[in-house]
Amino acid sequence: MSIDLQKEFTEYTKNLNKASKDERIKTAIGRAVEAYRKTVDETLERFPHTPALAAEVRTLKEQSTANMQGLLKEAMASVERNHGKAFFAKDKQEANEIVDRIIGVKKSVVKGKSMLGEELHMREYLEKKGHEVWETDLGEFILQLKKDKPMHILSPAIHVPREQVAEIFSKFFGKEIPPDIAQEVAVVRDFLREKYFTADVGISGANAFAADTGAAVIIENEGNVRLTTAAPPVHIVVVGVEKLVPTFQDAMKVVEVNWRYAQYGVPGYVSMVSGPSKTGDIEKVTTYGAHGPKEFYVVFVDNGRSAMARDPEFSQALHCLRCGGCMYECPVFQVTAGHFGHTYLGGIGAVWTAFVEGESSLEKAAPLLYSCLRCGRCVERCPMQINVPRMVGELRNRIATGEKTGSAEDAS
Amino acid sequence: MAVEMKLPTVLEIIRGNIVKHGNPLALKGSEVASWARELNLPARGEVLFYTGGEYQLLPFIDSLVKTMTHMDQGSKGFSLMMGVRNMLDKAGINAEKIYASVLAKDKDRFNTVCYKAAVILKKLGYEICYSGEEELYSGALLYELGYWSDLRPYAQKVADVISRSGAKTIVCLSPHSAEVFKLVYPKLVKDWNVEIKTFVEYVWEKRDKLPAVKVDGSVVIHDSCRLARELEIDEQLREILQSAKVDYKEAFRNKKWTTCCGGPSKLLFPEISHTIAERRVGELEETGASVILTSCPYCLSALQGGKNTAGVEDLIEFLYRGFEA
Repeated sequence: MSIDLQKEFTEYTKNLNKASKDERIKTAIGRAVEAYRKTVDETLERFPHTPALAAEVRTLKEQSTANMQGLLKEAMASVERNHGKAFFAKDKQEANEIVDRIIGVKKSVVKGKSMLGEELHMREYLEKKGHEVWETDLGEFILQLKKDKPMHILSPAIHVPREQVAEIFSKFFGKEIPPDIAQEVAVVRDFLREKYFTADVGISGANAFAADTGAAVIIENEGNVRLTTAAPPVHIVVVGVEKLVPTFQDAMKVVEVNWRYAQYGVPGYVSMVSGPSKTGDIEKVTTYGAHGPKEFYVVFVDNGRSAMARDPEFSQALHCLRCGGCMYECPVFQVTAGHFGHTYLGGIGAVWTAFVEGESSLEKAAPLLYSCLRCGRCVERCPMQINVPRMVGELRNRIATGEKTGSAEDAS
Repeated sequence: MAVEMKLPTVLEIIRGNIVKHGNPLALKGSEVASWARELNLPARGEVLFYTGGEYQLLPFIDSLVKTMTHMDQGSKGFSLMMGVRNMLDKAGINAEKIYASVLAKDKDRFNTVCYKAAVILKKLGYEICYSGEEELYSGALLYELGYWSDLRPYAQKVADVISRSGAKTIVCLSPHSAEVFKLVYPKLVKDWNVEIKTFVEYVWEKRDKLPAVKVDGSVVIHDSCRLARELEIDEQLREILQSAKVDYKEAFRNKKWTTCCGGPSKLLFPEISHTIAERRVGELEETGASVILTSCPYCLSALQGGKNTAGVEDLIEFLYRGFEA
């Protein structure tokens, strides 16, 4: 079998070239890069223990990746012990089917931002199944209405200026919304507030998952994850198996490093969710579903991750915390934003694409892999010191020699 | 099951040229070595002066990129143009003519970079030898582009040429060659035990002998990614300039935080490459320097293409001015 990549490259190049001439991207990314560098410098100065903590997390991630299957088993048992239900999905299809089955028929869903959700195209899948799904992160909400893809993993709508947001909102809400950021934020707050309390199900991702306690740790600033995980009667955590770490303390270390390199001294909210809401206040009888969800589910997703973990060249890709710091340092990203990427962006995104897109992973990754400059500045920024240029070289070699990166079938 | 993926033509042609002709654009050995005619460098010696043909390539790359920007890379005319000599394109492009016209127009500056580098080393008191028309390109692009299975036999060929010089040390003009010799060849070539140095390191070792270089205004150093990050050479450049009594500025993103010039994507994504180069030039010009100084053929070519007001020079050209004065 032979695949001619020329067409993919031609289309992709056209798109990149267009993005590089987009003044909105230029202004937005330029501003973001400057702010990022300044804030991170200041933040690291304020919390000087961070680099040492990052080194500790690096070791922790190495060990966790090596023992991913063991941690998965332990985590699933912990979730069940907490009166939650744990599932394992080997690929995209399975993950979406499991979530759909848990939700039921034609339900209303509120969703927190999750890169894994993007990877699985979960919202689109659930909408097709007849559910009403609302993205609650403001950036994701804008993109949901705009039918667009995220341009940055942390600030997905980084490329949409307030004037365009006003246009989109005016059309959607059927009334004039001025291009005023405070008013734009307020109108979404009012709209989603009602959704949180009428939704049947809340879905969130997780930044780290502690195997010993069965606890998902989620960081955010808007408060939407707080509401999504607490208000609806059912909560589902969808988490990649690479987020597993042995203990709760480990999970906290991971998230602190994560937010620090994502330019926060401390995020607005850190949510820990480990099971259904419960109370024993009446006669010490444990009763589930007090103020929060009565039912709690965790879906652990593989989708190419164990293939990555098994390959000594690529297991380090799983250490990525998704702080997004590398993107701000990437010369290609600075010019093209999320157009240099698939679901995952930049050089590390090219590597991930080569594993998580099923049978056509390497094919989809090829144009991304060849647009990486292999300049190596991302490695300087990365708190996990992930050697992206090395992996990009190895993947180019596999493309040139026709070797595959493994598929979902390899997942145990 | 292995799935064969056909990469864009431009990459396949570069690969073919390296493997078959020992040069990414199939330049002839006589063209690559023409700069050395007057110097009568010996073919054998302790220290091998290695150009890899990379500075010599630059005028051709630029000319090709200019054409490519207006051309569909999948077209037949394109593949003919990319270094397949002696073939007349039925669509009307004469590959040989493109080579010839470039030679006539632009060869001087980039060809003389090698000459100047050799003269500088000799003036500093180094005895160097040179493989001349026999010299083969290092294969750095085979490594870069993923053609690792081609690199193994090719590296052996390169190593054979190098071993004929009897040299114990190779001094490389291009950091890309130095990188592949230093970090990749040991894994591919049996008994590869030559010492690898860059031109910058060699000059640095005898920097006390450097004459002063006069500049109107100041210079700013553009650290090449390979030099600063893979080879960890950055302070040496500053110390060389101090020895040459040159006032230099630092860009906000420098040394191991240097910004890439965009060069690596020049062949596949020329427009993006150009935009990246322009942005980098902007960062360098912010310092108010009148000359941008680099030490890598691809940085030189890329930044030259993205320049605004400041001039772009290779360290070799720059230091040579001191000897001329």
